[in-house]
Parts: sequence; C-alpha cells; structure tokens
Amino acid sequence: MRRFDLVLPNTLEDCLKILAERGAQAKLVAGGTDLLPQMKNGALKPAVVVDLSGIGRVRQVQNGNGLRIGAAVTARELELSPALRGAYLAIAESAAMVGSLQVRNLATVGGNLCNAAPSADMAPPLVALEAQAVIAGPKGERRVPIADFFTGVRTTVLAPNEMLIELVVPPPGAHSGGQYLRHTPRRELDIAVVGVASQLTVADGRCTKARIALASVAPTPVRATAAERSLEGQPVTPDAIERAATLAIEAAKPISDQRGSVEFRKHLVRVLTRRTLTTALQRANA
Amino acid sequence: MSTMKTTRDVKGVGVSIPRPDGPEKVTGRVQYVADIQPKGLLHAKLLRSPHAHARIVSIDVSAAKALPGVRAVLTAKDIPHLKKKAPTRAHAVLAIDRAVFMGQPVAAVAADELSIAEEALDLIKVEYQVLPASIDPLKAMLPGAPPVADAGTEADTSEALAHSAVAIAKSAAPAKAVNISQQARLQRGDPAKGFAESDHVLEKTYRVPMVHQGYLEAHAVLAEWDRNGLLTLWASTQGSFNTRSEVADVLGIPENRIRVIPVECGGGFGGKIRALCEPITAVLAQVTKRPVRYVMTRREELQAGMPAPQVIIKLKTGVKRDGTLMALDAETVIDSGAFSGAVLAVSAVFLGSMYKWPAFDIRGFEVLTHKPSVAAYRAPVAPQTIFAIESHMEQIARDLDLDSVEFRMRHLIQEGDPMVNGQPWQSNGAKQVLARIAEHPHWKSRKQWVAAGGKNGKRRGVGLALGGWLGGLQPTGATVRLNPDGSLAVLTGQVDIAGTNISLAQIAASAYGVDTDLVRITTGDTDVAPMTGLSAGSKTIYTVGAAVLQASEDARRQTFEIAAAELEASVHDLELTDGKITVRGMPDKGITLATIGKKGNLYMSKTPPVLGKANPAFTQQAPGFAAQLARLEVDPDTGEVTIQDFVIVQDVGKAINPLGVEGQMQGGAVQSLGIALTEGLMFDDSGRLTNPSLLDYRKLTAADLPNLETIIVEVPAPAGPFGARGVGEPPIIPAPAAIANAIQNATGARLTELPLSPERIALALVNGKR
Amino acid sequence: MAKHVLSCTVNGEPVEVLVQPYVTLLDALREDMGLTGPKEGCGTGDCGACTVHVDGKVVASCLMLAMQARGRKIRTIEGLAAADSTLHPLQDAFVRHGVPQCGFCIPGVLMAAAALLEENPRPSEEEIRYGIAGNLCRCTGYTKMVTAISEAAEMLASQRSAR
Repeated sequence: MRRFDLVLPNTLEDCLKILAERGAQAKLVAGGTDLLPQMKNGALKPAVVVDLSGIGRVRQVQNGNGLRIGAAVTARELELSPALRGAYLAIAESAAMVGSLQVRNLATVGGNLCNAAPSADMAPPLVALEAQAVIAGPKGERRVPIADFFTGVRTTVLAPNEMLIELVVPPPGAHSGGQYLRHTPRRELDIAVVGVASQLTVADGRCTKARIALASVAPTPVRATAAERSLEGQPVTPDAIERAATLAIEAAKPISDQRGSVEFRKHLVRVLTRRTLTTALQRANA
Repeated sequence: MSTMKTTRDVKGVGVSIPRPDGPEKVTGRVQYVADIQPKGLLHAKLLRSPHAHARIVSIDVSAAKALPGVRAVLTAKDIPHLKKKAPTRAHAVLAIDRAVFMGQPVAAVAADELSIAEEALDLIKVEYQVLPASIDPLKAMLPGAPPVADAGTEADTSEALAHSAVAIAKSAAPAKAVNISQQARLQRGDPAKGFAESDHVLEKTYRVPMVHQGYLEAHAVLAEWDRNGLLTLWASTQGSFNTRSEVADVLGIPENRIRVIPVECGGGFGGKIRALCEPITAVLAQVTKRPVRYVMTRREELQAGMPAPQVIIKLKTGVKRDGTLMALDAETVIDSGAFSGAVLAVSAVFLGSMYKWPAFDIRGFEVLTHKPSVAAYRAPVAPQTIFAIESHMEQIARDLDLDSVEFRMRHLIQEGDPMVNGQPWQSNGAKQVLARIAEHPHWKSRKQWVAAGGKNGKRRGVGLALGGWLGGLQPTGATVRLNPDGSLAVLTGQVDIAGTNISLAQIAASAYGVDTDLVRITTGDTDVAPMTGLSAGSKTIYTVGAAVLQASEDARRQTFEIAAAELEASVHDLELTDGKITVRGMPDKGITLATIGKKGNLYMSKTPPVLGKANPAFTQQAPGFAAQLARLEVDPDTGEVTIQDFVIVQDVGKAINPLGVEGQMQGGAVQSLGIALTEGLMFDDSGRLTNPSLLDYRKLTAADLPNLETIIVEVPAPAGPFGARGVGEPPIIPAPAAIANAIQNATGARLTELPLSPERIALALVNGKR
Repeated sequence: MAKHVLSCTVNGEPVEVLVQPYVTLLDALREDMGLTGPKEGCGTGDCGACTVHVDGKVVASCLMLAMQARGRKIRTIEGLAAADSTLHPLQDAFVRHGVPQCGFCIPGVLMAAAALLEENPRPSEEEIRYGIAGNLCRCTGYTKMVTAISEAAEMLASQRSAR
C-alpha cells in the first residue's frame, strides 16, 4: 500500500472531530476487508486512515424492542449472536456467508454497508427487515432507511464528515420469518452472483407483509416491490410464490460481468426468490 | 532391458516414510525467498503496461527518481544489450518500444520500502499510443490480424521439445497468417473415405480457457552481486541450472559468473521453470549495488504470469454402429499469448494416439495473441486435449448405446502400438488402469446410485475418463559419499518440489544396503551440485532416481572392494547387514561401514574415500496413465455441482514412497477438478484480465471437495529405478472429461466448454441443450 | 512519516516494536518481529496463508493494520508448539500423515485447525472442511489434512481425559 497517516481515536467524539477536519482525504477502517484490498490495488489512495477499533460505542448488539447493531460488530459476531434468531435469522445467515472465517472475524456490518458493493451480503436482509441506518455527523445523529442508504455502486448518502454508527431493526411482529440465500460457484471465499432476502409476516393464513430484497442485480440492493405486492393480502401458496418469483425478475437490472451473465442472474432471481419465500413462510409459521 | 529389482531387505523402497522436512514446515521454520531479509535489502516493483498492444512513445522517470527512498528507476534505455526482438518472454525484460500484453513490464524501481516503490510507480509518466490488439486466437490466426511478434521472430520450441519429446513434421503457415507461430500436421490413411463409411459422425468443438498454475507462493527472487562481479540469485525455481542458463543468456554474461541457490519453492507446477523476474532483479541489484528482492503480487501473477494456454479443439469422428473406429479429423488451436512456447506437439499427438484410429488428419496451430505468454502447467496441454477426446469417446459410446469402458478398452493403445507420429508406445499401464477403475464399486453400482436420486431434487451422475503422460527425460548426475559414521550423503542439484528427496533417499538406501534413516539427501546449488534438469515432466524419480541408484551401486562396489582388501576375501564372498560387511558364513570376520568411512579420511591413509558417481542420459520414456471417476450431484436450478466421491487410479510403475505418491495423486486431481469446475483467466475484448484476484480466479477450497480415494497400480517401467515411473503429471489430466461425463449422466447436457460452471450447467438445462 | 509504537502480546510474550502506520499486521510480524511463519499468498484475504490468532480468533493478518493489534494477544505458527518445543498434536499428525508438500499454506492451515479444535473439540469431517475452507492449498488436495486434523482431535481429547 502507498503510505498514509493513521489516526487512532478512542471515542466517537474524537472520531467525528477528525472527520470534520480531514474527512475528504480520509477513510475509516474497521475490519479492513474491503478497504485494504482496494488500497492495495490502487483503487483508493487515502492520505489518512482512521481506525475505529478503539471505539466501544459501535461494537454492541442489543436486543430489546427490536435490534440495535453497532456498525463495527463483526460478521462472525452476527453469525453467532443469540439475539439474531427467530425473525432476524436472515441477518445471521448473510453474515455467515461473508468470505471465510478469517475474514468474518474482521469484517463488520458497517463496513459491508458503507463499502456499498452491489453484492454486499448483509444489505438485503436489513432492507427486507426495514432497518434504519443511524448516522453520526457534526450536527448530531440522523436516521436513514437502509433501502435509501445506497446511492450507487460504492456510494452512499454519507457525507465525508459523517459515519455510520448503528443499525436499528424494528421488531417484525409475530409470525415473521425470513431467509437469505445467494448463489456462489464455491462454498467459501466467494461473492454473491445473486443474493435474495425474503421476509414474510403472516396472520390468519394470509401474508400481511412481504419484503424481498435483491443483491448483485443492480447498482444498489433493490426491493422487488411488484413481487411484494403480489403476495400481500393473499394466502402464500406455491403458486403465489412462483408468481412472486417471476415478478421479482422485473426489479432486477443486472449486467453481464465476469461473475455471471444477465440471463443467468435473472434466472437465479427467480430460483432464489422461490426458495427464500418458501423457507420464510415455513419460519413464519413455526 | 531388465527391470531393476530390489535385492536387499532394508527399510527403503516401497515404504511410506514421511518427508524429513515435515517438522520444519509445520513449525513455520522453512525459509522461502520472501523470508530472507539481508542487510541493506531494497524492494523492487515493476510498472506494467495498461494496454494489451501499444507503442511506447515516451517515458519520464524524473519525478520517480526524485522521491526520497528510491534508489533506482530503470527503463529499457538503461539496459542497452536487450535484444529488440526478444526471442523469449524472459528476454523481454522491459518493453523497448512496444508493449505486447497488458501487464508487460515497462519500468522498474528499487526502493528502501515497498510502499515507496509503489508511490514511485505512480510518478512515472508513460505516453502510449494504443494499437489494435489480437485477443481471440481464432481471429488472430486469420490473415490481416494485428501482428503480435515482429516479423521474423522465431518460434521458441525449446520448452516444447523438453516436455513433449515427440517429433512431428512442421509445415508451412498459410500466407500472411502472421500470428501462427507453430504448425503441425499428422495424417494417415484416407479419412474422407472413413467418414463416408461411418454410421455415426460426431463433430464438436471443445474450449478450455487459460488457467494459472495457482502456486500459493508467487514468483520471488533475491539478487546480489559481490565485488568480483559474481551474481547470486536466491530463487523460487523448479530448475536452478535452467534459471542460470536463461539469466546468463538474457544478461549476456557467462554462466559461471552466476550462482543460483534454489530456495524452498512454494509450488511451481511448471510455472517456475522459465526465468521471469530474475533478470530485471539482477539488473536492479547491479545498478544499486545492494541486494534487491522482487516478489510478485497475486494480481501481477494472474495478470502477467505465465499461464497455461487457451486451447480450442475441433473434433470430428466417424464410427460404425458396432463401435469400430473409422476416422478422426481434428484441429487444435493453442493460444500461446504474446510469445511462442506452447507444447503444440503434445496436443496434436495425444488427440489421435490414445485410441487406434485407422485414418486421421490432425492439424495443430500455435497462435500468438496480445496476452501474457504461456509456460508449462503440469502435463501441459494434456488436460485440455484429453478433455476433448475423452468427452467425445463418451458421447460416441452413449449415442451408440455401448458400454463406456468396453468401448474404450476395445480401442485403447498398448505397448508397441504406433502413436500418430509413428513412434511406438512404450510399455505402459493404460489398460490396467482402466480395468482397475472399472472394478470400483462406484462404477459397478452406478446405475442404482444414479436412480436413487439426490436430496431436494438433485440429479446424480457418474463419469470417468482416462489420460496419460509420456514422461520426460533429461540428463542428470548424482554423487554418493560414505561418511565416517557409516551413513551416506547423497548430493544432487534436483529441486525437491514433489517430495522426491525422501524417495531418492529410499532408492539410495535400497541400492547401497542401509536403512533410509542413514541416508541424507542434499540439494546443492549450481556451484556445488552435478548438472541436473528441471523438476518437471514427471521425470525426477525416473531420471534422478536412476542416477542416485547407479551412484549408490557404484559406492557399494567401491565399499566392497575396500572391504575385500581389508578382509583378504573376494568381493563375491561378502555381504552387508546392519552396517557391517562380513564374510559369508564367518560373522566374526568383518568390518563396519563406519570404519571404512573413517579410513578414507585419515592422515596418511592408503584407503580412498568412497565416492559413488553417476551421470546418465536417457533415451527410453516411461508413460504414466491415470483414470479418475466422479460421483456427483447437480442442483438443476442453480447448476451447482457437489462431488460426493472421487477416485484416482494411477500406474506409477513402483511406488517408491506410497505416502508421497498419494499426495501427488490427490493434489494433481484437485488441480484437475479446478480446471473442470471453477478456474479460468477471463480476458475481455481489449485483452484486460477481468478476474485478477483470488476472489474471482476460483481455486477449490476444502469445503468444495470430498475425500479423494487413491488406488496405486504398478506396471513396472523397464528402465525405471525399481520399475518406477514419473508420478507428478498424470493425475491432473482426466478430471475435466470425467466431470463432463458425469454431468451428462446426471442431466443429459453435454457441455464442451470449461469450466463447467453452474451458469453453463443451469442455462444448458433451461435452454434444453441435450 | 513517524512510526507508531505497537505494544501487544505475541506468542505469550509482551512485545513493543516501532512500526510504520501503513504496514499490515502480517508485515509487522514478518519484518519487524522476525516471525516469518505467516505468509503472504494474496494480500487480499482470499487464501488464508497469513492466518494468525488475534485474541483467540483466526484472522487474515494481511487485512489488519499492524496498529489495530495494539493491546491484543497474537499467536502465530511459531507459538503453536509447546514452550519446550514439543509439537502440538496437529503438527505431529501433519508430519506423520505426510501432509506438507511445498509447505507454504501449512502455517495458515495449522492455525485455522488449532482454532477449530479449540472451539469444537470433536468436529465432523464437514466441520473440519469448513474450518479450513478459508485456507487454499494447491499441492495436497486437502484429504490428508482432514485425516490428520481428525486424528489430532482424538489425541487432544484423550490427553484431556487423561488429566
């Protein structure tokens, strides 16, 4: 890597002060699993790197009325967290898929979201669970629905003097279940060709809320809103699932690249939407 | 020639002895080039062309030179003796006026820190004039394609000859096809007539992309010159003498001014035979008068290493309804990248030489493109070629409703049958290997296993394939010294990349008459060791093993002669047991090896020191065959493949060290499976590599694989030490065809392009390709 | 550029070294502390050759900045054998089963396996495979590694019950 200055703040306040002064030339580092590879291949050349590993405030998982997940919680901690069970299981599932164990012990949910790759695994379940991003800046904190957090490939709503500090996940209610699935050519050390998170809430044999979020088929994670609407208010039958799976393709605007073609990605959207909806229903009814 | 037999009952040949370097490796104590940290070390970085084909208009290094901590910045102008038309990739140290592949080195920096060297690269300003590029080999071989080599550059067939050891007639290239650098044609009989008389004619095109050897340790070299102008290179190499020769040739200095010390090599597989980073690192060391180390990054390895070639094979076969072979027409196109050097002959010969075709017309072309040039990769072009022929034979059997194994066995070559170039097949175990794998319960029970189906709608398939390698030859030498403690010291120059040293020790032990733990093998550098060849070509045990065997027998003869004189007996009456030579029937009349060893070194002694020597050259190849069988399940919706079981059967002649042999079989098989399922260097139309990281260049992980079952077959090689054949290459050959055959068995889809990715499988099923 | 003082514990010993702010933990271990066991195979967290333990967890040390290791406990391959140099059962099993070929992946694999057995003393074959799935090996095909790790697990279990 090219040379850079390193700052090691001990509190969130100190960190925000540094960002206020030097945010434009600075990069925050938590796990470093997306940042360092990009610095090593020259895609990023920050003059200053700010290490978050000394800030306790962003490292906690709390389960009360809903979930609060600190931005620097690692993928491995999410994978194993007892708080991420039941209706929140898809978040743990997505965290468990990131890279390898050696990467998951470093990678953070905040880093995954702020790096904002279209393939970010932890984004779709958070979108499907309607999480909010808590952003700290010079004027205090603000919240942004996670679906609006991403603005393009590797870009978010964060200003240079802001940082993501927490995710707040509202309680999905009784009888809610979800799943995240992705397709990768290998079982480990891989990246989503397509990822789908489905979250279903049911009552009296009908779907009261459906959320389907797709990864790697657009510049940002996207919701398959037509598919969602087709499910809400109806019993979730295999036919309804199949219809939703087909409608989900409409939300996908994939490109062909070295990981997959347009045709394959659209095909996978259908397959993975069908599978995650089927499991989400089972989990919601459990 | 009679088979060399083991005649003594010692702990030697045939025993599974763990490698003696195990403890150093499991404690992290073994040193690789990047672990050597001499005082005053400088770090090298290379600036590489961002264009596949471009004229270099100007280079401004002034800002880079001014960066504190930078000790040297070089361009081709600073190395005046570089040949303008580089005959090989190694000679293209830095691009002179034209870059011919993306990633070609254009400038070199040596600095106090790697970070400073990286920043220096940013400060070098190069003006390029981008030129049209030849990327697709099928287009590149047409007249009028953008030319890769300067007109008149000779095809470099030296490595081709080293590996293939097959001779084929050359023929003239079509006029104005400037990028065809090698050509071959082999013909016999009247194929047109054969096709006309056939009931079943099958035509398919098989494609295999460039793949990287995938060694975990990237190319690395440390260079330092002494005050006498002698260059020392600590290199990660598969052949220290070859490295020395190439560097001498490139730098224009005599070989005896270069010492190459082969440091532990973190994987080579053919990719570390040819010189690559050594010349430029040597020049940086010369200019800075400091030790300079260059370690390629993984990105550089993938973008600008020396991968295996892309191969496109058009196969057309004609067969009678009863399975009689009538005619074969084949065209193999090998994309060699920007410099010639593929073993075209091997592909052309293997296409028609596995089975007995009465009539054939086989054409081969090596084509140059604006991509990194190729080098060997474990049985070069054999996995690609066997993928074509073994997929094709399976398809024929399926179409004609013939048993896969019986159909192959009926037409499979054996010793004495002519290859397509007229050379007779040497003694080999092809039939034994095929018969053995057909006996495996996984093959015998395949119909029931498949019919049972997998969980969750997964479809099951079983497939197999057979492949072989001719086995390389290279002259070599070895010495064996008796120590004053009765132990043996064996010296070779052979780099140990496959665990061969312990096997050589076992050979020496069995040939001389002591236990293996009394034998120590030293791998000497180019200053101290006898000349030796590459650790490649599946020839180390076959050739160096023979040299060690002969040197050990020579040492034994000398030892017995000394003992005979001491004991006043005839050598024929002596025997060696437990370190002591005694007169047969008179156990008290004897002399220990230690005593003989001591006497050979005493002041004023009349006893010579025992020093056995051998320096053979070889003429007879010893082909090795391997067959592989896969039981797999396919998810028909996603195309994901799960291999449930995998079996490797290989004829090794004589397993000198079964533990080591198994490791070679398993490792080669996983490389083969990677070629089959996940690997490929993906270039876009501009010649840019789109997957320059290990995230997207996918090597298989432990979670992608089952346990690999190994079955050793021993059909002795007439001239092999104790009957041994080379082991390294055959296991990388069969898997792509075996997997393709299993996938067809599972899904009905015949896929002819590697890798057999989930996308290809899923879309074949979606689009109904049967 | 001023160096930082890195204070941490490495293989049970307190360490204080001066490091450049822009070097990785892998670089600091190899160049500043002389621990060349962990290797660089890719630099991007895709191969596992740099695997070390940080506070008992396996990490890709090529992705950590050296200063992120401040105050933490690091364990490398050099610290796997016992203080009296007795090989760890994993190391011993690897040697006896002929696992190391070129040897480059081995330090990383052993650290991954050691962490696996500390967390899961009786892993199934599948758990072993996933436990080392972050470590690429090009030479061995993994089969003998799995056998050796399984055997080492048995040895450790019987050592524990013998106490």
